[in-house]
Amino acid sequence: MTRADKFLLAGLVVFSLLSMAALYSRFSGGADKLQSSKAVISVQGKILRTIDLTPGTRSSFTLQGRLGPSIVEKKGNRIRMMEAPCAGKVCVNQKWIENPGETIVCIPGEIMIRIEGTAPLDAVTR
Amino acid sequence: MVFMGLLVALATALHVVEGMLSIPLPVPGVKLGLANVVTLLAIYLYGFRDGLTVALMRVLLGSLISGMFLSPGFLLGLTGAVVSTMIMALLLKHTTCFSMIGISMAGAAAHNMGQLLAACLILQNSALIYYLPVLLLTGIPTGIFTGVLLNSLISQSEKSGMLNDLVRTSP
Amino acid sequence: MIRQRKLLLSALGVLLIVLLASFQYSRRIREYRSEHFLMDTLISIKAYGRDQEVLKKSVSEAFAEMRRIAELADGFPQPGTAAYGSSDVCRINAQAGKQPVMVDNDIMAMLLLAKKYHHVSQGAFDVTIGPLMELWGFGGEAPHVPDTHSIQAALARVGSDKLVLNEHERTAFLTKAGMKLDLGAMAKGYAAEKALQILQKHGIEKALIDAGGNVRTLGRNVHDASWKIGIKNPRKSDAIAAVLQLENASAVTSGDYYRYFEAGGKRYNHILDPRSGYPAVRTMSATVVTKDAGLADILSTVFFVLPPEKALETAGKMTGVEIFLVTADGRILHSSSLKGRIEVLPGDSYRYDQGR
Repeated sequence: MTRADKFLLAGLVVFSLLSMAALYSRFSGGADKLQSSKAVISVQGKILRTIDLTPGTRSSFTLQGRLGPSIVEKKGNRIRMMEAPCAGKVCVNQKWIENPGETIVCIPGEIMIRIEGTAPLDAVTR
Repeated sequence: MVFMGLLVALATALHVVEGMLSIPLPVPGVKLGLANVVTLLAIYLYGFRDGLTVALMRVLLGSLISGMFLSPGFLLGLTGAVVSTMIMALLLKHTTCFSMIGISMAGAAAHNMGQLLAACLILQNSALIYYLPVLLLTGIPTGIFTGVLLNSLISQSEKSGMLNDLVRTSP
Repeated sequence: MIRQRKLLLSALGVLLIVLLASFQYSRRIREYRSEHFLMDTLISIKAYGRDQEVLKKSVSEAFAEMRRIAELADGFPQPGTAAYGSSDVCRINAQAGKQPVMVDNDIMAMLLLAKKYHHVSQGAFDVTIGPLMELWGFGGEAPHVPDTHSIQAALARVGSDKLVLNEHERTAFLTKAGMKLDLGAMAKGYAAEKALQILQKHGIEKALIDAGGNVRTLGRNVHDASWKIGIKNPRKSDAIAAVLQLENASAVTSGDYYRYFEAGGKRYNHILDPRSGYPAVRTMSATVVTKDAGLADILSTVFFVLPPEKALETAGKMTGVEIFLVTADGRILHSSSLKGRIEVLPGDSYRYDQGR
């Protein structure tokens, strides 16, 4: 092994360790509070899209549930079902959700919006 | 020409055998890279163009044999092989400070990075980038391994004088 | 040459370490979660284990089992559809007053349980409540208060004593024409328990099944602590009335807030007392903690319908059954054995005396 080989070896090791630190640090405790949360929207059991809940942004979009188009609105780190074609409107009445593990479920439309992360409770009996 | 054919055959065989041996690992794409020895040997003996031929032919033939032709895996292997051949040829031709071990290490790293980049593009999934450190780290020992293998191959054939015969019969 | 050999050995050593490390990483406990809309609700299964493939396979098998039971027990498909043909409950209902119907083992097991708890609860639980449910319209779009006369007429077609089961021939028979089974008060819990058995069969030791609020836990949670299960606040949709700690047990709640309508300033919920034909009104929510989710589902209805004090007394006589009640007059009652495993949170619609 020549000197240059050793430099290359050291360089590669350092580079992989650095990239490891850069890539994985996002998962460790302290930093992820700065990260914006994500909302996962699924229809009939299939994930339709994932939305970054970045503070300071606002948007709304239409998605096709089993009963027809529903409108989801996102504002900052919160998300809600703005309009839905279902009869009960349970999903619309639930208003905004923002905490990890919170869900909005529209049973007739088979739509689920869930904020990623672990909730303090494992489940709720109702 | 005959020897080139032999090299392609050897590389293909190693490629396929390695594919069969692949240990079920959580990180896909970790391989010993035995076929890379042959590519590097071809570059060393005959230059970049023939090295690339060997690399391309072995990916093509290997995928045909294993029935993976034009699959995502094939495209990844292709990208990796091309990128690593280019890097190894570049280092071999234009630098003198690296030994076979260094060059093979660089080749392994380039192979893994190219493959990962292609994977990100093909699968449209940037989360794959999290594999990068693992692939790079595993690339170092496998690169050293193939480099050492090649070193001993070259020194053995130099001793027996076979190497000169081979270079003389170059295509 | 010797230096090279050393280098080779150390390179192989490093490779081995990296591979072992990543192998170990892949062997850590992972979560696999999946959700499906079934039985008019959202069912979610979270399973934990080391092998993602095993988790995936067992969870999908568990869902297949729940779907099978859902189809057998579904009482509401349109006649003539495929779902109608595969529903045992529909076939039994169609042959009411005519002849016994051969049924699936699971439907047989459910009906036997139903009859048993009809007896235990002295009629507070009744799967033949179909005609009453239909009359009130709780299954459909426009529920309304029926007149006394039609309630009396419907009551004549309700009664588990008129459900004849033949275990030997595996048949079920509603002896009076116009009778209707409604397994809504037990099917979700029963299906959750069956799903759990499938997970266990595949060697899974940690899991949580949430069948629309019918919760069944297996083992301890991923932090190797008790599962923390919230009990919904019956009057505030996003609030929790209490937090339960469960291990390898289920918690099922029956509440008056889940499906209800208001008429003439009165609240009418969908849990009917099969003896009077009117909604049970003395309880806001009844939560049952016991091992078997099917039993918990049945008992949550029983204890919702029974007067609160009577419910507490009855539960006290059963082994391995604990209850938590929010009564209509805003009191919280629970089995004394839950103390230490339950934390009651403050709320506007109820009060809790620690001394109890």
